[in-house]
Amino acid sequence: MGKYVTLKKSDFNEFIEKLSKIKPVVAPVAKGKKSFAFAEVTTGEEVALQYIPTILPPKKYFMPQKEKILEFDKKKQDWTPILEYSEKIIFGVHTCDLAGIQSLNIVFTTKPKDINYIVRKDKLVIIGLECNNYCDEHASCAVMDNHLPNGGYDLFFTELKNSFMIHVNTQIGDEIIKRIKLFQEAKKQDFQQLDDLRAAKRKIFKDEVKVGHEGLKNLFDKSVKSKVWKDIDSRCVACGNCTNVCPTCYCFDVKDDINLDFNTGARYRVWDSCQNENFAKVAGGESFREDRGSRQLHRFMRKFSYPVEKFSRYFCTGCGRCSRTCMAQINLKETINALVKEKK
Amino acid sequence: MKKVKVAFFDFTCCEGCQLQVANMGEMLLDVLDLIEVVEFREVMSEKSNDYDVAIVEGSITTSHAVERIKKIRKTAKVLIAYGSCAAIGGINGMKNNFKLKEIREYVYQKDAKHFDTIPTHAVHQVVPVDYTVPGCPVYIPEFIQVLKAALSGLPYNVPDNAVCVECKLNENECMFDKGVTCLGPITRAGCNSWCINNGNICYGCRGMVSNPAENGQKDILEKHKISLEWIENKMNMYNKSRELGELK
Ligand code: SF4
Ligand code: SF4
Ligand code: SF4
Ligand code: SF4
Ligand code: SF4
Repeated sequence: MGKYVTLKKSDFNEFIEKLSKIKPVVAPVAKGKKSFAFAEVTTGEEVALQYIPTILPPKKYFMPQKEKILEFDKKKQDWTPILEYSEKIIFGVHTCDLAGIQSLNIVFTTKPKDINYIVRKDKLVIIGLECNNYCDEHASCAVMDNHLPNGGYDLFFTELKNSFMIHVNTQIGDEIIKRIKLFQEAKKQDFQQLDDLRAAKRKIFKDEVKVGHEGLKNLFDKSVKSKVWKDIDSRCVACGNCTNVCPTCYCFDVKDDINLDFNTGARYRVWDSCQNENFAKVAGGESFREDRGSRQLHRFMRKFSYPVEKFSRYFCTGCGRCSRTCMAQINLKETINALVKEKK
Repeated sequence: MKKVKVAFFDFTCCEGCQLQVANMGEMLLDVLDLIEVVEFREVMSEKSNDYDVAIVEGSITTSHAVERIKKIRKTAKVLIAYGSCAAIGGINGMKNNFKLKEIREYVYQKDAKHFDTIPTHAVHQVVPVDYTVPGCPVYIPEFIQVLKAALSGLPYNVPDNAVCVECKLNENECMFDKGVTCLGPITRAGCNSWCINNGNICYGCRGMVSNPAENGQKDILEKHKISLEWIENKMNMYNKSRELGELK
């Protein structure tokens, strides 16, 4: 069961203040009524404890949008590899996003290993935060089995009535607890509250689509010829928003940027999207996936089928970001339900 | 490296994009290491007929201008349409909302007959253009990119996805969530969602995306509850010239 401690809600502000003295802390902050983003905080008041998934997932700390990987000087024939990282504590990661980070970890630590990613990840401390209720109608974390904590954090916060129940999952987490002397040992009534909360959650969080967890892969495997992709084909504008905001999309492009001296410069790794017109183009201009419908099919297969074969897990966390952000109102839950309906 | 001779020319415009060059700060010094400016009315009085790169600002609105741009095209090895007036006709395109004769009389009154005028054209509608930097005004980081491409002979394509994509990457709160209509969903990216990052809406200054997913565009307008008529009005502010073909 591991170690549990509690933190009084009235001590939360002081906790964040002290935490930010250990290392820079990033946490969800409100950007507007319905928009949140992970950003640096130094006080508890800045943290949005009730938030819906941030515009970009915490992926931005694990694989930055633009990462310098090399500096060069052509005249000197000098090529210096660069490793960009920074120490951070990420506070308030929901269970869906913890699953996203776990997925990225699997990808980048499987051969060929990505050293830059691994070094960067080891500098990041992760503090999870439980959702006591659904964020909004786009969530599908229950059917993806990500609505309850399932590892992938150093500490995990659950909001109880007057306190937070905190699961201490790693030594790094334990050191934080020991350094910030604000915590109490968890008592019987705290465990009772946690159990009650989880029981209540089981009643709220139910499969959000008309197919169960196990059936999803088969549904997509059999959908290749479906009319659903034709409809999506006529609507998708190939903007790439859905993959940019997805916590498990990790495709990147490598670009050189030369300085105005036309001699020195740097090589960057930048986010790319399988939805861009140019992505599937190969030398000679041939495109493997000419139309948007087949590119969307590819996106869904990369969430619900291929990773199951390769890594034995779904790469959709159910966070709902793709549906929230889609310019053309293409909706993940509706797409799944349309496929189920067509099959019947 | 031998310095490349560059000339700036202005046609119908506010010269605001040329002013952006002066706003480049330190970067300007690096640029001036590479190029020799042989003509730039905004900052110098010399004129020259010897240049490699012509950076053309403004739209083509008179027959005199048509002749002048054709001459520039003949001299320049590389022609860059600089700013939205040159790239897409820009604000000047609003003229095309009116009958030419009427607008001419309205502006010049009794002297109208002395002023020749033609519908507003983007530069590429009159002569071939090698590089395009849209924007009202231009976004300097993009201009630098184009300059580097031009000086090394590589192509530069203006992005053809929506400003919203950059806006999401910058994690801005969407204007529509604030109850304000924004032209980001149908405007070409490349400015790093400049205006929204600074608290304004996107005015569509970079021109429209050329997206073929018609149903998608309908869904986008529907999602944001934007009427087609409104879009047309707003978009015409910068994009009216788009309706013209090439000048014969
Ligand atoms: S596919 Fe959509 S719902 Fe699933 S993880 Fe990606 S953004 Fe979230
Ligand atoms: S998708 Fe589920 S886990 Fe993620 S924020 Fe919403 S409710 Fe929480
Ligand atoms: S966000 Fe929507 S419109 Fe954009 S690429 Fe994804 S599915 Fe297509
Ligand atoms: S509509 Fe405007 S504010 Fe909203 S995402 Fe697009 S560019 Fe940004
Ligand atoms: S945000 Fe819109 S109006 Fe502003 S510079 Fe970009 S394209 Fe132009």
